[in-house]
Amino acid sequence: MSPDHLSALWLSIKVSVAATALNGAIGIPLAYLLARRRFRGRAVVDLLVTLPLVLPPTVTGYYLIVLLGRRGYLGAPLYELTGWTVAFTWYAAVIAATVMALPLLVRTARAAIESVDPNFERAAFTLGRSEWRTALEVTLPLARNGIIAGLALAFARALGEFGATIMLAGNIPGKTQTLPLSIYTAVQTGEAGQAMSLVGVLTLLSCVVVVASGRLGARPL
Amino acid sequence: MSQRLEVCLIKRLPGFTLDVEWSAGDDVAVLFGPSGAGKTLTLQCLAGLLRPDAGRIVVGGRVLFDSETGVNLPPQRRGIGYVFQGYALFPHLTVAANVAFGLRGRPRAEVARRTAEVIERMGLGGLEDRRPDEISGGQRQRVALGRALAPDPAFLLLDEPLSALDVRLRQSLREELATILMQWQVPAVLVTHDFQEAYRLGDQIVVYEAGQVIQTAPRSELLWRPASDRVAGILGIRNILRGTVVKASPERIQLRWRGRLLEAVNSPTRSYLPEPDSPIAFFIRPEYVRLIRKDRGAADPMHHMNLLSGSIVREADFGTTFTLFIRLDGAGSPAQGDYDLEVEVPRLVYEILEIGRDRRWELSMHRGSIQVLPSAPLFPSGERAG
Repeated sequence: MSPDHLSALWLSIKVSVAATALNGAIGIPLAYLLARRRFRGRAVVDLLVTLPLVLPPTVTGYYLIVLLGRRGYLGAPLYELTGWTVAFTWYAAVIAATVMALPLLVRTARAAIESVDPNFERAAFTLGRSEWRTALEVTLPLARNGIIAGLALAFARALGEFGATIMLAGNIPGKTQTLPLSIYTAVQTGEAGQAMSLVGVLTLLSCVVVVASGRLGARPL
Repeated sequence: MSQRLEVCLIKRLPGFTLDVEWSAGDDVAVLFGPSGAGKTLTLQCLAGLLRPDAGRIVVGGRVLFDSETGVNLPPQRRGIGYVFQGYALFPHLTVAANVAFGLRGRPRAEVARRTAEVIERMGLGGLEDRRPDEISGGQRQRVALGRALAPDPAFLLLDEPLSALDVRLRQSLREELATILMQWQVPAVLVTHDFQEAYRLGDQIVVYEAGQVIQTAPRSELLWRPASDRVAGILGIRNILRGTVVKASPERIQLRWRGRLLEAVNSPTRSYLPEPDSPIAFFIRPEYVRLIRKDRGAADPMHHMNLLSGSIVREADFGTTFTLFIRLDGAGSPAQGDYDLEVEVPRLVYEILEIGRDRRWELSMHRGSIQVLPSAPLFPSGERAG
């Protein structure tokens, strides 16, 4: 593999790990709230989280540009304050992958949390635990397998992210060109052999994730 | 210290309203009634897991909930132990961690000491590191009780603790539960829809029906003097019959049923004196109707006996006992379906008297066995029932 392709592989792994970590930090609390709490705007949150699953990735990417681009609603004030913009950096690839993967984690984790018998939580309450401690000590450990499955799906989705990434982060070799983008470029420029080896690497990586998550997620509690 | 529990609750849900008032002493009170009567809902309100719309909950003088003053302690601060239906043991924690779960926040040494003590008293020694799915049903019940009792709750709530078990295990766990409740001397409220269980475990029984309390009584009083035919029906009492009052005194009630005059014992403490000619409900337990042996000569009519005659229309074999369905002689439509009385006889009696061949019988009912059921509820919470 050429140095460009090696850096694409390394960037893809870096982006996917970061996006999966962000997904865990945002998605697990979100899944818990959607599963266990009734609050105002719950339906809207649910809709916003789910949209990236059904919208074309380029449309999601477009919204991200509108929001975070240099002239975006959040991006413009940020640029004025710091002179820095997230667009066309590897952070942009992380953000795109996070948003695209979030519905997979939230939906899977939410279903797992909803399937935890509420009597376990009630028992913890009567034994003196706050809701917060109960979530950490009872609900989330009991939903662990579903959460792990969700994180694996999120990682795999982040690894393969294309549309939203190319919109927000661009396709800059060595900077924002992830593995899928690099495959696309290889095909466009007629490097069939390169494309095939990259496809092989991506397929292998995805298989490893699926098998590993199956092992972890199927462990008894 | 006395832990008197006073409960007054109103909770409106779609299609169901819970409206109950009862109190219990520092022994075991059983909430008894059919499924869907609001028993578990009551426990959840007591534990603070569900907020009533109105009412008041007081344990030993401590107000846990009062809609008028806005007091509503969260479940974490009520000091009430809850044994859930199916136990709800934490499947990801060991037996020891389950028992110690409610002791968090105490000094480490005390947690260890108390956990060991509870495990020892519950006979769970050696199982400390097992998970709930690695121990037997009986051991699970003891872990659940140990977990709820470890933090020394003021009250223990038990929701259908035995309902999910098969018959044999249920009997042995019922006895074990009775022993543990007695040994730990903790006041308890237990929910069940099984009357045998209610009677065996409860000192006092609160009868629920459709979100209301229809009788609160010590267990023996409930068994022998249900307050109404509704209560008798829920208790599964057979031979609930309807007649007319002839004459009532505090000691005796004479009544007419199926054209016959019957005499029943009234209860002076209840002071129930219905007007002559008013309708009256009463019951006689099937095992208290006697068949008169034909080889013994005529029964003494002066012996407090109500004498009847009839023939067996059907019978049901229950192995150790037979139930005979008897149609009395005389005109009029039968009192219950195609028969007037159910009579239960032990198999031995059935064989000795050759009941299988002989279908015509003289029957007697002692006047002390005929229980009169007041038609108007005798208790305040029933008045709202309307």
